[in-house]
Amino acid sequence: MKINWFKYSAPMSFYPLAGKLIPLFWIAAIMLILGGLYWGFFKTADILNDQKQYYRIIYVHVASAWMAMWLYAVMVFWAMLGLIFNTRLSYMLASATAVTGTVMTIIALATGAIWGKTSWGTYWDWDPKLTTFLILLFVYIGYIALQSAIDDVRRSDKASALLALVGLALVPIIYYAVNCPDPTQCASLHQESSLKRVESNILIGMLVTTLGFWMYSFATTLMRARIIVLERERSTTWVSNLPEISLAETSNSKIEARTETRS
Amino acid sequence: MTEFFSMGGFGIFIWSAMGIALALMILEPVSLIMKRRSVIKQIKRTKRLDARRKQN
Repeated sequence: MKINWFKYSAPMSFYPLAGKLIPLFWIAAIMLILGGLYWGFFKTADILNDQKQYYRIIYVHVASAWMAMWLYAVMVFWAMLGLIFNTRLSYMLASATAVTGTVMTIIALATGAIWGKTSWGTYWDWDPKLTTFLILLFVYIGYIALQSAIDDVRRSDKASALLALVGLALVPIIYYAVNCPDPTQCASLHQESSLKRVESNILIGMLVTTLGFWMYSFATTLMRARIIVLERERSTTWVSNLPEISLAETSNSKIEARTETRS
Repeated sequence: MTEFFSMGGFGIFIWSAMGIALALMILEPVSLIMKRRSVIKQIKRTKRLDARRKQN
């Protein structure tokens, strides 16, 4: 079967499809996050390696940190697609992803700081991982700021897409900031991010919450993309014909219909 | 129950981390719902004005 991918690159066909998918993503997100946290709080040991119960922050910290980096890659993907094919929807999805990415970065930094206080005795350290992650937050904010600073939509889309592309260099840097090949060259407080070091029981909770955070990201990104579509396509007939834009008040039209049948 | 919430003395750290994440992940969709409502309201207003202009 041949699927016409470009069909859904039209905001007009994307809008109703996204509207149908959003509730499904919400259900999946809530179920996975609650399930993962339940597992993480009730089905796992109180101690991980040398860490006491505070290690449980791992479930939101790792999930949000992974999402922060993953969403950056997703944002760059849409921005690049926009630059190559010049499709309006790609740019809209890129800017919709940016805000959720920012939220995830803030959660990762905040929960990381709290975990750091318990585990390292300090909320913040200019460790390579933490520093590069802070820069990631600034790049996200810079992307959003640049986009809102330029009034012309097409120009702001292109300029911010280029900024996103340049910032992509950060993602491998964040990763290698802790997994550096030579441990004598980088003294990192932050643990190596290696899945092998995590107990399989804890890993289940971590992966399930991460999946939940991913579904959450889908839901909020699609919600935001739909708002952007409405704002940018407001003067088109298809937006004007949407049921949510209809001027007739449902209660009034019902009354009118009733009075008509009576007379 | 209290034992569960105290988390071996680390309760304040664990629950504040969970609380920050929860607060932000509620705030984001709520702000999106509010934004959507205001955008729809705005578009409707322009549409109503256009319709009135056409009538006159």
